[in-house]
Amino acid sequence: MECMIELRELTKRYGDTTAVDRLSFEVRPGVVTGFLGPNGAGKSTTMRMMLGLHRPTSGEALIDGRRYDEIRRPLHEVGAVLDADAAHPGRSAVTHLACLARSNGIGRARVHEVLEQVGLSGVAGRRVGGFSLGMRQRLGIAGALLGDPAVVLLDEPVNGLDAAGIRWIRSTLRALAAEGRTVLLSSHLMSEMAVTVDRVLIIGRGRLIEDTSVAEMRDRFERDVLVRTPRATELTGLLTRLGATVTSTADGDLIAAGVDAPAIGDAAAAAGIPIHALTPRSATLEDVYLQMTAEAAEYRATVTKEDP
Amino acid sequence: MTLLRTRPRTAPVTRPSPLRDAVAAEWMKVRTLRSTWAFLAGGVIATALGALILFFLVQSYDAATPAERANFETADPTVVTMPFVMFFVGSIGAMLITSEYTTRSIGPALLAVPQRRLLIGAKAAVAGLAGAGCGAVFALLAFADARLMLGDRPAPINPWPRWTDAIPTVLCAALIVTVTCLVALGLGAVMRSTAAALTTLGGLVLVAPIFAHFLPTVWQLRLASVLLPNLTPQLAGSDHPYLLSQGGAAAVTAGYVLLALAAGAISFARRDS
Repeated sequence: MECMIELRELTKRYGDTTAVDRLSFEVRPGVVTGFLGPNGAGKSTTMRMMLGLHRPTSGEALIDGRRYDEIRRPLHEVGAVLDADAAHPGRSAVTHLACLARSNGIGRARVHEVLEQVGLSGVAGRRVGGFSLGMRQRLGIAGALLGDPAVVLLDEPVNGLDAAGIRWIRSTLRALAAEGRTVLLSSHLMSEMAVTVDRVLIIGRGRLIEDTSVAEMRDRFERDVLVRTPRATELTGLLTRLGATVTSTADGDLIAAGVDAPAIGDAAAAAGIPIHALTPRSATLEDVYLQMTAEAAEYRATVTKEDP
Repeated sequence: MTLLRTRPRTAPVTRPSPLRDAVAAEWMKVRTLRSTWAFLAGGVIATALGALILFFLVQSYDAATPAERANFETADPTVVTMPFVMFFVGSIGAMLITSEYTTRSIGPALLAVPQRRLLIGAKAAVAGLAGAGCGAVFALLAFADARLMLGDRPAPINPWPRWTDAIPTVLCAALIVTVTCLVALGLGAVMRSTAAALTTLGGLVLVAPIFAHFLPTVWQLRLASVLLPNLTPQLAGSDHPYLLSQGGAAAVTAGYVLLALAAGAISFARRDS
């Protein structure tokens, strides 16, 4: 499949600080790609470089083979929302969009069309300053859709949105991807990505950590089984002989990895060892993500463990 | 749910030049900024106050003795009113770009027109158009005030005993307002802050001429001669105390535009937004 967004060794330095460090990846059409990383990982800087708002120190970001600032009337090819507050508060929604549309030779009819699509027709004439965050996000997306672009980029689109707003963005993005568009959205929340995106690019400290699919991410990380039994020592020996790695918790429960729950149940039954609880556990995507980015997180709180 | 027209898309059929589209968009922006209308109102108020001052001047002239009349100050409204008009109309030029930085709408503006020289070129075109239009209207208003109130009173109170004498002054006043608007746009592009740009603009057209008075006479004239408001009489070649020839004044005027726009364009093109 053709690749719509391509980053080659993209780097941005501010003095001694390297915000984005030789970042290379590709984003393909037809799926929603998530761009994930902790705060300060360089997501926004990267997106701003893709869109020509920041100049890379070295490397390049190409959209459909060209730098963004080489595209004439780019709204026809790329739609982006970087900042929900980026509309003049004194202008009405319709005027804000009309100004953008006019610069790219897009007519008034299309302005009303996108306002309709994002559900803002009723407040088209109202000043943006009076809009809620959700309405402003919708307005941003309306602006991104103006030119019916093949590539859609959104920076933290669900930040500060309520549940209905989040659901709306999610379905909108999925619909856009289903139409064959290239959709890239950034977020610092794995939980958000897990239900929205197909592919994830994870960055930390400006470097690419992972380029994978959500399904792969779920599969890759080991699962284990929590076992509660009054005869822990015996069961530990039994499971170890089955090839499992067994550790015990402070509560006296066993955590068995490398063997699944049915095998544990069968083995215990055969040996006549009673089982009081048997819980398969899988690492949540959130855990996996935190584990991946722990090293790279710019700021980390010191976690104080509760005393057992 | 069909969110959008079905792909593949069709390209728009009519495609005028990108510059024309960008200028049209900037024009729409300046029209839809409330501050534009507030600054125009400021210009109207300044013109009205200028007319009021002129009215009192004419009254005191009429009450004066012939000897006093012979030494009367020239009632040139462009001297009283135009610096304020320059400030207010110039502010519109500065706001063309600072309003986008202060409201962060510079982001969408650059996403729509990522070629920065094209974008600032479009802004400069609009600043020039707005400056020339407003400058001409306010200069004509000031001129009309003067004609109405001075009637057929002679020089020196009447700067233009025949109305045709006013033509160069009105044209040059309009030109200097245009130049101020472009200089303000350049300041705005460099400073990115409305407060900083308008303070600097005010300093340039309103405060500097007063400041010049406190300098020793030689320096007072040298500085005053290159200040924007004082370029109008020097360009028009009318009676004035300053040092520049018409050609010299034209060169200084062009220097203002080139310097401000070049600094603005370079700053706009090079820095991250």
